[in-house]
Amino acid sequence: MEDSREMSRRSFLAITGWVGFSVASAIALYQSLKFIYPNATYEDPPAFKADAPTVYAVGSTTVLIDKRVVINHDPNGFYAISLICTHLGCTPRYFDDVTSDLVNAGTSISKDPDTGQQATKANAALPGFKCPCHGSRYFRDAINFFGPAPRPMDRVHLEVAPDGKLLIDRSVIVDRAFRLKV
Amino acid sequence: MTVIRAALDEMFAVIGQMVGSVFRHGLPLTDKIAARTALTNFFLHIHPVRVRRSWIRMSYTLCLGGLSFFLFIVLTVTGLFLMFYYVPSTSHAYQDMRDLQFVVTFGGVIRNMHRWAAHAMVITVWLHMARVFLTGSYKKPREFNWGVGTLLLLITLLLSFTGYLLPWDQLSIWAVTVGTNMAKYAPIAGPYTRYLLIGGRVVGDNALLRFYVLHVVGLPLAAFLLMVVHFWRVRKDGFSGGL
Repeated sequence: MEDSREMSRRSFLAITGWVGFSVASAIALYQSLKFIYPNATYEDPPAFKADAPTVYAVGSTTVLIDKRVVINHDPNGFYAISLICTHLGCTPRYFDDVTSDLVNAGTSISKDPDTGQQATKANAALPGFKCPCHGSRYFRDAINFFGPAPRPMDRVHLEVAPDGKLLIDRSVIVDRAFRLKV
Repeated sequence: MTVIRAALDEMFAVIGQMVGSVFRHGLPLTDKIAARTALTNFFLHIHPVRVRRSWIRMSYTLCLGGLSFFLFIVLTVTGLFLMFYYVPSTSHAYQDMRDLQFVVTFGGVIRNMHRWAAHAMVITVWLHMARVFLTGSYKKPREFNWGVGTLLLLITLLLSFTGYLLPWDQLSIWAVTVGTNMAKYAPIAGPYTRYLLIGGRVVGDNALLRFYVLHVVGLPLAAFLLMVVHFWRVRKDGFSGGL
């Protein structure tokens, strides 16, 4: 009498076959995904050099459109903005006035939490950035105040390279309080 | 003379055999011959042997599925023509698209046929789905085909989206930047999905090549296979049209 717990040759082979097929399929899936996931992209490197700090006057805003970076030189130092809209990644453009049309239309605009500046009827025009895709707006210091953008644009690290030029690294996101004093 | 006649007879016999091998049933003069022709011909067998007039009433189907398929064929043929001039690299793509419009003879016709047929196909597939929904044609036994249809709708939209990048103008680049950034919002897998889709961190050469490959091979092939199943199921489940 055969033990009922004993596995038949047929079902053993069937189970072995299915296990083998499943494992092979899983490996094939893993390989496929890894294959199309690039290890090297040959994109523009995140770190690049701009001009020497003396080129940027105090109070200036310089848009490096090809690098999608903005260099702001304030009295308390330099900082760099990654010019990528935090909504869906388009490139906002700089304008001397991004507020007066809203003020005139009666929209109340929040105060810039960092600079304390506020667009009012008396002083309607503030400089900043507008995104062409869905109309998000940012103050000059990259803080969002209008449109779908969920947060301010990222600030990225900058330092003075040994050759005296500004070295900006777009892959290093820094705190909003970060300033480079030269 | 008899030699020539014999040779001619022989030749006509061969030609007759060749023609007969293609047209096996003669002219479809009776319903029986017509039915047999439809039944044994690869291209005609997509048609049921018998169709009630009411099943294919224009006011019922609005021909939307057929129109979608017709547009798919137009897109395949015009797309094939466009491929002779289009190189999917960031240094060539835009120039090639402009050349197709202004340099290549009838290039504008082909490109515009492709473009308008693409817009039209998105519309007809949507309307086809709406029609099937409104006439309740998705109900048993056609639930499976409704499922296949939703996949075909998805593939149609993906074809539309991948094709949108190929002209490589500002509109394309930022539309795909926006579209793939939406994928980034997905929890956990989001950033990986975007990286996988565009083959990098910005919409560049890798993204263009990936979208091109999906647009001209991957998605059409998937669409074709699903269409085969879709039409087969229409035949097997029967037409939903009224009596």
